[in-house]
Amino acid sequence: MSSIAPAPGSTTIELALKVWRYDAETGEKELKRYEVEAPDWVTLLDVLDIIKDQQDGSLAYRKSCRMMICGSCGMRMDGAAVLACKTRMYDIAKAGHEPVISPMGNLPVVKDLVVDMDPFWGKIRAVKPWLDPGYDEVAEKERVVSQQQMNVIHKEALCIMCGCCVSECNSMESDPEFLGPAALAKGMRFVGDARDHADVERLNEYNQEHGIWDCTRCYFCNERCPKGVDPRDAIAKLGAESIKQGIDHDMGAKHAKWFVRSALTTGWLRETELVPKTQGVVSAIKQTKFALGLLKRGKVPPPFPPHVADRVGEARALYNLVKEQGRDGALGIVQGEHALGRIEFTEEAGVRENAPEIQPGVEPPHAEG
Amino acid sequence: MRAAIEAFDAGADVALLSKIHPVRSHSGAAEGGINAALGNASEDDPETHAFDTVKGSDYLGDQDAIQILCDEAPADVYQLENWGAVFSRTDDGRIAQRPFGAAGAPRTAYAADITGHVLVHVLYEQVMKRDIRTYEEYFAWKLVMNDDRCQGVIAWDLLNGGLKSIGAKTVILATGGAGRLYVGTTNAYSCTGDGMALALQVGVPLKDMEMMQFHPTTLAPTGVLITEGCRGEGAYLLNSEDDRFLKRYAPNAMELASRDVISRAEQTEIDEGRGVDGNVLLDLRHLGPDRILERLHGTRELSMTFAGVDPIYEPIPVRPGAHYHMGGVDTDVWGLTNVEGLYAAGECACVSVHGANRLGGNALMETITYGKRAGRHAAEWALANTTVEVPPSTEADAERELRQLLDRAQGERPWKIRDELAQTMHENFGVFRREDQMQRQGEIVAGLRERYERVVVEDKGQVFNNDLTQALELGFLLELADCMIVAGLARKESRGAHARPHDYPDRDDENYMKHTLVTVDTDGSPELEWRDVTTTKWQPQERKY
Repeated sequence: MSSIAPAPGSTTIELALKVWRYDAETGEKELKRYEVEAPDWVTLLDVLDIIKDQQDGSLAYRKSCRMMICGSCGMRMDGAAVLACKTRMYDIAKAGHEPVISPMGNLPVVKDLVVDMDPFWGKIRAVKPWLDPGYDEVAEKERVVSQQQMNVIHKEALCIMCGCCVSECNSMESDPEFLGPAALAKGMRFVGDARDHADVERLNEYNQEHGIWDCTRCYFCNERCPKGVDPRDAIAKLGAESIKQGIDHDMGAKHAKWFVRSALTTGWLRETELVPKTQGVVSAIKQTKFALGLLKRGKVPPPFPPHVADRVGEARALYNLVKEQGRDGALGIVQGEHALGRIEFTEEAGVRENAPEIQPGVEPPHAEG
Repeated sequence: MRAAIEAFDAGADVALLSKIHPVRSHSGAAEGGINAALGNASEDDPETHAFDTVKGSDYLGDQDAIQILCDEAPADVYQLENWGAVFSRTDDGRIAQRPFGAAGAPRTAYAADITGHVLVHVLYEQVMKRDIRTYEEYFAWKLVMNDDRCQGVIAWDLLNGGLKSIGAKTVILATGGAGRLYVGTTNAYSCTGDGMALALQVGVPLKDMEMMQFHPTTLAPTGVLITEGCRGEGAYLLNSEDDRFLKRYAPNAMELASRDVISRAEQTEIDEGRGVDGNVLLDLRHLGPDRILERLHGTRELSMTFAGVDPIYEPIPVRPGAHYHMGGVDTDVWGLTNVEGLYAAGECACVSVHGANRLGGNALMETITYGKRAGRHAAEWALANTTVEVPPSTEADAERELRQLLDRAQGERPWKIRDELAQTMHENFGVFRREDQMQRQGEIVAGLRERYERVVVEDKGQVFNNDLTQALELGFLLELADCMIVAGLARKESRGAHARPHDYPDRDDENYMKHTLVTVDTDGSPELEWRDVTTTKWQPQERKY
C-alpha cells in the first residue's frame, strides 16, 4: 500500500494487454489483445481510455474521479482485484508483461468490465448502514466524542465501496449469501462508533448464518483492498465485540472461545475436545469414527491424560495480562493495529517520535448527546 | 442527496437520479473540510465568516446569500455530525477545525483529509435509511418543459439502454461542475456541467460563467487535487530557489492567502522561470511524519501514487489546475431558477455565494445548506401543486434526436474534439486571460462545435453504452465553453479568478460590480446581460492578504 510509483516523466512506453470482453446482448465472450503507446505515467485506467478513444469505442468500464476515492473502477488484473486508476503501468510495461484484465469476481457481469453492483448494495443495506443514536435526532450541538474513540472506526470509514474485497472473497464464492467483507466492515463502522446505540442488536444480526463466522479468514480482502480498510480485521473486531457482549451462540464463537480456554488451562490446543465444544456432543459423536482414524495414524494426541505444556504458566500470564489491560473487544484489536503500524513505520522510516500513545485498558466514556 | 433528504422529510415523494452511483459523486473527492463558525478552535461567529466570504469573492458574491449560508452553516454541520459524520475531534471531543485560506479564524471542520468522502457516505446512509428511490446510472439528457414549467427529465438508462422519462413536479439540479473543460483539472471525468447545460437549454441564464477557480496545488500531469489542508496544517510553497515566494505576493497570509492570489503567484513564478519543470514545490517535511500520517494520510497516498513522491521526505511538485466553477445556474436564495419547478444547488448553481473566488471549505458548506434549502422549497411547492405530465411529443422529439446521433455511421469520433477543447481552454482561458486569446478561443470553440455536429458514436449497443453518454457530455461542455468566453470578453476588469493583467489589471467596481448572465437565443448563440450584485453591509475595499 505504501509503495512509491515512479515520478511522471516525459517519455512514452509501449504496452500490450488482454481484456475479457463480454457482450450481454449476444452472450459472447472473447479475450481481446490491445497494443498502445502511452506516456510513462499512465495508469491502467488511462490505458483503457486510450483503447476506448482510439481503438474500440464499445469497450465498457466504469470510471469517475481517477484519484482513488469514488470507487468506480474496480476490476481484475491478472486475476486480482485492483482500482484501475491506482495501478501505474510503467513497471509492467518495462517488464514486458501483458496483463489480463477482467471484471470483478462474485458479481454478475453486465458488459466487458462492468459488473452488476445490485447484489453488493443489497448486502450493504442488510447491515442497517446508518447511525442509530438511540433517540430522536436533535441537531443543536455535536456530540462529544474523543479522537481516540473515533480512531476505532478510522479504517472502516475509509471504505469507498469499490467492491474489490467482495470480488476476491473466497467465502462468498462458496456461499453467495455470505454478507461479505464490505458489508461487515460497514457494520463495524457502526458497532465501533461510540455514538451508535444499537451494538447488541447489530451484533446479534451479524452473528446469524451467513454472518461474521462464515468468513474463512483467507485474508484476500485485506490483501486486495485499495484503501487499507482491512475488512477481515473489521470482521475480527465484530467477533471480539460479540464475545465481549456474550453473543456466542454461533459455532464460530464457541470455536474461538475454546481456543482460549484450552490454551489457558493446558497451554495446548486440545483438539479432541474442540469438536464437541464447537459443534456439540451429538455432532461430535457422529465424527468419532473419523477421530479414531486420525488417532490411529498419529494425527492427534490421545485425549487422556490431558497433556499439559511445560510452561503453561506463560500462557496463563499472557491471558491475565490481556484481561487486566481490558484488551478484549474491538478496542484491543485497534490498539494492536496501532502498535503494528508504529513498528512498521519505525522500520520504514527510522524512529518515529511523538507517536500517539497507546493506552491499554482505557475504556472510552460513552458519547454525550 | 442533501436536497433529497430534506424534501423527503418534508413529506414529498422523492427520487434521486444520477449518472453514476450517488457515492461516486465528486463531492467525495473534497479533502480539506467544510466551513462553519462553530468556534471550536478559537472565537468565531457567522458575521466574520460572512465578511471573509464577501472579501474572498472579490465583492462579486451576493451578500444576502452569503449571510444565509454563514448563519445556517453551524446547525447544518451539527446535523451532519448527528447523522454520524466521522469528523476529526479536538482534545475536548468537539468537531476539530483547521485554518484555511483567507479565513479570519480556524473555521474548517474536517475529517482528516477525506471530509468530502465522509460526508457523501453519511448522506447516502441517510438516503438508505429513508429508502429514497434512486435511479442509478441514469444519464439526464433533457429537461421536460410543459405549460411553462419544468415537469421532469428524460434520461438514458445506462445499464439497460433506452430513453426513460421521469415526470416530476419539481426538479433540482445538483450535477456539480464542469472542470472537464480543462486538461489539467482536479475534477472527475463525470464533471461535465450537465445540469448547467440542461438549464441553459430551457432558458435559464447561467451566471458568472467566466469565474473558473484554479486551485493552487494540483499534481502534474492530470491535475489530481492536493488539499489546501496541507497549507492549513502549515506546509510551505517554494520556488526553484527554495524561496517562500508568497512573501512577495501575500506577505501577511502567505500560504493561507486566497486561492486566486496563490494561483496567480505560482503561475507568475513558473512563467518567469522560477518553477521546477512547470511546477512549484509544496513542502510538508517540517510537519513531521505523525502529523502527515494522521491528518494528511490520503495526500501522502496520492503523492506517492501519482507523483512518485513521499511528502515525508520530499516536497510535492504542484501547479494551478481548474478546480471549481463559481458560476453556474442562476438561482435565488431558495435555489429556484426563473423556470417554475426548476431548482439548482451546489457547484452547478450560482446563488451567488462565491462570487469571483471561492474560499476553501465553502463549497461543501454550500452544497449542504443550499441543498437543504432547495429541497425544502421544492417539496413545499410540489406538495401544494398537483399535475405532472410529460408530453408524448417531447419524448418523441428526444427519441428522434438520439436516433439521429446513433444512426450516424460516418464522421469523427468525439475524443479529439474533447481533447482539443480541454487543451485550448487551458491555454487561452486559464489563470491569466488576454483579449486576443479569448477571442481566438471563441473561434476555436465555434470550429469544434461545427465538428461536433457530425460526431459519430461507435458503440451502437443498448447495454452500458457510455460511448454515447460521453458524446452527449461533450455537447454540454461545448455549450458551456461558449458562455464562458462571451462573459469573459465582456468583463473588462480583473476580479477574482478573472485576471487580465495585460489590459485591465484592476478591479472596476463602478462598471463591473455586476453578475454576467448568459442565455442562448433560438439559434443557439449566447446573449449577455448584467445584474447588480446584492450588497447589504459590506462596501468594496481593496483586497490584500
